[in-house]
Amino acid sequence: MQRSRWRTLGWALVFLGPSAVPLVLFTAVPMVSSAWVSLHEWNLISDMRWVGLDNYRSLLTDPATREVFWHTLLFVAGYLPLVYVGGLGLAVALNRRMPANAFFRAAYFLPVVTSWVVVALVWQWLLNPSDGLVNHLLGAVGLGQPGWWTDPTWALPSVILASAWKDLGFVMVILLAGLQSIPGDVLEAADVDGAGGWRRFWHVTLPLLSPSTFFVVVISLINGFQVFDQVFVMTGGGPAGSSQVVVGRIYDLTFRYGRAGEASALSWLLFAVILAITAVQIRGQKRWVHHA
Amino acid sequence: MKNNRRRLTAVAVAGIASLALGACSQGSATSKDDDSSDGQTTITYMEFSSNGGHEQDLAAIVDAFEADHPDVKVKVETTPYDSYFTKLQTALAGGTAGDTFELNYENFVTYAENGSLAELGSFDEAAYKPSLLDAFARDGSQYALPESFSDVVLFYNKELFDKAGVETPTSDWTWDEEAAAAKKLTDKGAGVWGDYQPVQFFEFYKALAQSGGSFFNEDQTEATFDSPEGVEAAQWLVGKPGKTMPTEADGAGTPDFDTNLFKDGKLAMWHSGIWMFAGLADAPFDWDIAVEPGNTQKASAMFANGVAVNAASDNKDAAEEWLSYLTSSKAMADTRLTTSWELPPVADESLLAPYLEQDKPANRAAVMESLESVALPPVIARQAEMQDAITKELGEAAAGRKSVEDALADAKKAVDALLG
Amino acid sequence: MPEAARTPTAARVRSAGIFALVVLGAVVMLFPFLWTVITSITPDGNLADGPTLFVDDPTLAAYRALVDAVPIWRILVNSFAIAIVSTLLQLVTGSMAAYGFARLRFPGRNVVFALYLATMMVPLQVLVVPLFIEMKTLNLQDTYLGLLAPSFASAFGVFLLKQAVETVPLELDEAATIDGAGHLRIFGTIVLPLIRPALATVAVFAFMASWNSFLWPLVVIRSPELMTLPLGLSTLQGQFTTRWDVVMAGSVVSIVPIALVYLLAQRHVVAGIAHTGIK
Repeated sequence: MQRSRWRTLGWALVFLGPSAVPLVLFTAVPMVSSAWVSLHEWNLISDMRWVGLDNYRSLLTDPATREVFWHTLLFVAGYLPLVYVGGLGLAVALNRRMPANAFFRAAYFLPVVTSWVVVALVWQWLLNPSDGLVNHLLGAVGLGQPGWWTDPTWALPSVILASAWKDLGFVMVILLAGLQSIPGDVLEAADVDGAGGWRRFWHVTLPLLSPSTFFVVVISLINGFQVFDQVFVMTGGGPAGSSQVVVGRIYDLTFRYGRAGEASALSWLLFAVILAITAVQIRGQKRWVHHA
Repeated sequence: MKNNRRRLTAVAVAGIASLALGACSQGSATSKDDDSSDGQTTITYMEFSSNGGHEQDLAAIVDAFEADHPDVKVKVETTPYDSYFTKLQTALAGGTAGDTFELNYENFVTYAENGSLAELGSFDEAAYKPSLLDAFARDGSQYALPESFSDVVLFYNKELFDKAGVETPTSDWTWDEEAAAAKKLTDKGAGVWGDYQPVQFFEFYKALAQSGGSFFNEDQTEATFDSPEGVEAAQWLVGKPGKTMPTEADGAGTPDFDTNLFKDGKLAMWHSGIWMFAGLADAPFDWDIAVEPGNTQKASAMFANGVAVNAASDNKDAAEEWLSYLTSSKAMADTRLTTSWELPPVADESLLAPYLEQDKPANRAAVMESLESVALPPVIARQAEMQDAITKELGEAAAGRKSVEDALADAKKAVDALLG
Repeated sequence: MPEAARTPTAARVRSAGIFALVVLGAVVMLFPFLWTVITSITPDGNLADGPTLFVDDPTLAAYRALVDAVPIWRILVNSFAIAIVSTLLQLVTGSMAAYGFARLRFPGRNVVFALYLATMMVPLQVLVVPLFIEMKTLNLQDTYLGLLAPSFASAFGVFLLKQAVETVPLELDEAATIDGAGHLRIFGTIVLPLIRPALATVAVFAFMASWNSFLWPLVVIRSPELMTLPLGLSTLQGQFTTRWDVVMAGSVVSIVPIALVYLLAQRHVVAGIAHTGIK
């Protein structure tokens, strides 16, 4: 018993070593350094000055912190359902036999690989309040025409919309791989049992897809809370700060404001939030994630 | 300083020491490789301003310098403006920044105050326009040399003015004339707008100066831009969009929006910088410039770039020699003037003659005339935060979420907190 | 609905309906890319003018300008080399770790896995400076190795592959163990072939992450000879003016290779299933 336990540990070292060593060296070590920085006042250039937990204290009372966390939360709440439901629909649709299947998969994946600079320009044009395509369509069916990214109320929804559109292909790819690995005979058996379209989808496909779903949700939350690129290029956090997010604030604090200590502290607050949310998901997965 | 960084490094490297990474490291030293074998010194120069079309022009200046100084080589590292400061700061944090680097006037103070700039001593004071040299001095010491400057003028589309039967702008214009003309020139049905002036920090500090207001009190311990003059200035800016100027909802603020609007002949007046001359050279209509209209007084915005020696450089003398050449040599001035780059900071204005003689725009004299009443941006150590705070509050006022008075009061509160 | 779907004509109508939706959606997804291509071949093309479907006199001037503006071949070689190497590394390190987490019941397994996930939870923006200082200490700044260092392994890949390994039936392992196979053989001959779709997926994302990464190359690379594509393309946007047709030409150059990588990987996703005969 004891010996086999040591053996397993040995094998674990063999299998995990190649990934663990670089992750420790090039991610964990900088993480620890940033934790150290978070206890200092530092503008990246002059002396670091020890301030203990002051950075955390001042962040927790700073209204700007609350604001960026709130915007980030709104982003995630809007983005995740959109991108998951859309990606799932796509994956199911494209998992069927149809002409030019591979072409369509590639087409839907294209936005994922396109740089945010280009995507932002395109969406700024689509959502242009006065002569953008979206407002033309909304006007045609008699709906209101919001100011989108130029209006403090609509800036964040604009970013959410563009992000979901861009990442649909990402979710689709993961779920497609999941669908592809569902054994065909299971689905056939369900067919034989007389389970038609929707019922088969709810009671067979979706549960079998749950490991992929779990993965998508965990990753999307981890990434969603660190949303930055699209905000940076689409709205720059504006207008009037209405779409500024946590990592946008971290970037400003580090590279524009010379407040690297607070930036590090803020990123550890963000870390705590993401960790808590991920832990809850991992705890809860037994209830709904089915493994083969 | 050294101690702290070493401690950070120690934390960073804890546990790695045993790793035989030495074998794979190429050790390509970037900045201070002295090729001392043949008595040559290599100076690195990090910069942004040649990016986007002037790379060859900077290379020409470097060639001329190296021909003049056979013992010094200059290695240029160009980074686009948008990411330049991220790269520069990381390099400074790691102690690997170039021997020399470029800064702009607004953030010069930030770098001077955090001790990353070496004091300069062997340049020729008489070669520079005094006001520009002063701009890069701090407490009586020179921490950077002015490298170039440019100013903001009023561009106008002559054809639109003629068509609307409006007199073209002159240097005597005030806000009243500008507003009246803008109103007459705006034809929303045809998509033609009378005016364009962004609602942000740089326009605000200038409009404030044009109204006779001051940004700070005498000893820079308190913001004073919430004065009646400040309110007037903010109102002037915020009042334009939607009336004589396109709003953000029309696309204002997207990349190159204003440039394209002017180029398409759909903008009558445009507050912009002289760096636009080259790009407008082939506009298919007649356009010219005038000194920006003032309110109670004249004030024109000036932007200046400076160059500094890294306090941690091992080759400070050679570095300063290079910077002197880069900022005051005849080769530099000629290159800048013939390529419509930003202007050289030279004291001798006769050197600028070839620039002023070019046409398009015909009234290039306005570029120099604007310099007679220059308003430099207010600068503090926490510059970026101040600029963001002002732009944010002006945005609140422009969006109608706050009155101009409330926005300025909130901005003052934010800026005062940054002065402490 | 399910009832109706079972009659052949209704099923066909539904299939046609779904197909039409997919086509419509593809147009929406492709539109920005087409717009990019069109702008790049329009003389003095400008995004602000809005999209046009027809170009009167298409030109490759923007592509020639691109070649003149940046050492595009050198940049492409760098980007390809870095992306391929980091993809291979992540496939190897990731699949091994995935096997370890999914199949080895070692103590502290969950804690270690949580630590892996934790490496994804601190934004790069705050890690960049400490990582740069570390690279400088190791004398790896401005080297290919320094550029590669953060992408030797990714928790994302480990996680995705672990999910895939867990779907491989344990009975297959057990049968092999009875035949006397050890972990290495089970990993190499049973698990790896069965998770090919997931490997292909990880390959696509690893390639893409490397290909598009900007912030780390920006700070760690100083020599123009080591420049990667996103850095090169960023120099096309000036402080005051930008030639959008050239920027768009650059975008096309950057998008096409990953699209091809994806198409290539797609085949493996399908082939993987056909070969293993899980059906």
